[in-house]
Amino acid sequence: MSLPAHVIEQQTITIAGLNKSYSTKQKGELHYIIQDVDLSIKGGEFFVLLGPSGCGKSTLLNMIAGFVAKTSGQLQVGGAEVRKPGQDRAVVFQQADASLFPWLNVRENVEFGLKMQKFAKARRKEISDHFIELVGLKGHETKLPRELSGGMKQRVQLARVLANDSHILLMDEPFGALDAMTRRSMQKELSQIWRQTKKTVIFVTHDIQEALILGQRIGIMTRGPSSNITHIYEVPFAYPRDPSSAPFLALEKQIQGHFEHEYSI
Amino acid sequence: MKLLTHKWVSVVLLWLFVIAVWQIAAGIYGPDIIPGPVATWNGAVELLEDGSLLSYIGISFYRVFVGWVLGSLIAIPLGLIIGRVAIVRVFAEPFLNFIRFIPPIAFITLFLVWFGIGEQSKIALIMYATLFIVMMNTLTGVLAVEEDKVRAARSLGASEWQILIYVVIPATVPYMFTGIRLAMGTSYMAIIGAEMIAANEGLGYLIWNSRLFFRTDWIFVGLICLGLIGFFTDRLVGLLGKKLLYRYGVVSSEPIRR
Repeated sequence: MSLPAHVIEQQTITIAGLNKSYSTKQKGELHYIIQDVDLSIKGGEFFVLLGPSGCGKSTLLNMIAGFVAKTSGQLQVGGAEVRKPGQDRAVVFQQADASLFPWLNVRENVEFGLKMQKFAKARRKEISDHFIELVGLKGHETKLPRELSGGMKQRVQLARVLANDSHILLMDEPFGALDAMTRRSMQKELSQIWRQTKKTVIFVTHDIQEALILGQRIGIMTRGPSSNITHIYEVPFAYPRDPSSAPFLALEKQIQGHFEHEYSI
Repeated sequence: MKLLTHKWVSVVLLWLFVIAVWQIAAGIYGPDIIPGPVATWNGAVELLEDGSLLSYIGISFYRVFVGWVLGSLIAIPLGLIIGRVAIVRVFAEPFLNFIRFIPPIAFITLFLVWFGIGEQSKIALIMYATLFIVMMNTLTGVLAVEEDKVRAARSLGASEWQILIYVVIPATVPYMFTGIRLAMGTSYMAIIGAEMIAANEGLGYLIWNSRLFFRTDWIFVGLICLGLIGFFTDRLVGLLGKKLLYRYGVVSSEPIRR
């Protein structure tokens, strides 16, 4: 199940001394949103960025996506500096309503990237059929996003980026707006899909349990401003993970303690 | 009482009530001040028999329709450019916010001088009335496109041109459509003003000219016709929008309030 070496290298993300700051108009002081982030993510890895709201997790993700320019430091994907959004990095947004195209049905949404790259119609259908089935939306191809539930919309987003064959998936709290039950089943499915497709995933969340169910490694981000990654937890459990097992609960408690310790200061 | 809440029953009752009040008012003030329903009906029959009413309705509608279509066709691309290109917007917005407060009627004399007393000046006036409303709405729509949609398209490999065609324009359709519907209303107001001052036919001419003969009943006929055409064209445009643009989020054919 392991990826060839050159593919791993293509998808490797290297971040060193990365800063994002802005200066206030009056005083000219520098304000750091994220400061001095070092991180190395290897191709095929499932990495979780865990931290409280407003800690700059999304900013970091948007910088990797190429939506937000860095102020200074190094940010490389596959050895090349990130300057703009690219097809190698696909984004699954938190708000499906804001990011799906409501005038396109499920199939057309999934085929959007393929259409932009002028794939032939038959080939597009073949690809979209495959990924619509993979995310469990078979039979819903002709529905418009507004006719779908929140969980189904996120499935469309997932199929849309998978169909586009990006190697790196950047996911910004994609299950944050879902109810608890839907969230659990989406986590299970995402984990399965990741194991099948061997994508590199960076998953942003503030939910410790979610982080532990999904991630191979969990990077803890401190509360902003000037946030960075203070600690990285290795998650040694095999997939699929059982959130009620003793080692799982122990690690969950340990991470919980980490945050409590930090906020008590 | 349950019968009253039924839409058609209440609408019919309402109109019967309006006609009754109208008839009573006509009885009090006399037919020269307020021609009653019957007098108005007779006036309408008179105008229908000599063929002038239908041709006036036709000519007013034609002017509005041509000016409105042409105005919208120019306004939409302009709105898209202003919304999409920041440097154009910086220059265009103050100008737009200045000129949109000048009502079309204020331009009648100038348009007559510039475009002559024929059809051109009237159609130009309707185009003016349409242009700014549709342009402002399109511009607002472009600026309201969610950043996530543009970002999603970009990271799915869309070029800037493809983003405009496949994301910005479809996302702006409901705004364009609202602008187009609102413009229909202002177009009727503008054309009546224009026809009162400078025309030999049309509903505005009928309403204005009737004063010479003191035919208040004809004025009533003109007013009622205006209300009816406005109502039906708005409903028609609304229904067409709902049928053809449902995908884009145009879901209501109900009248737009402003």
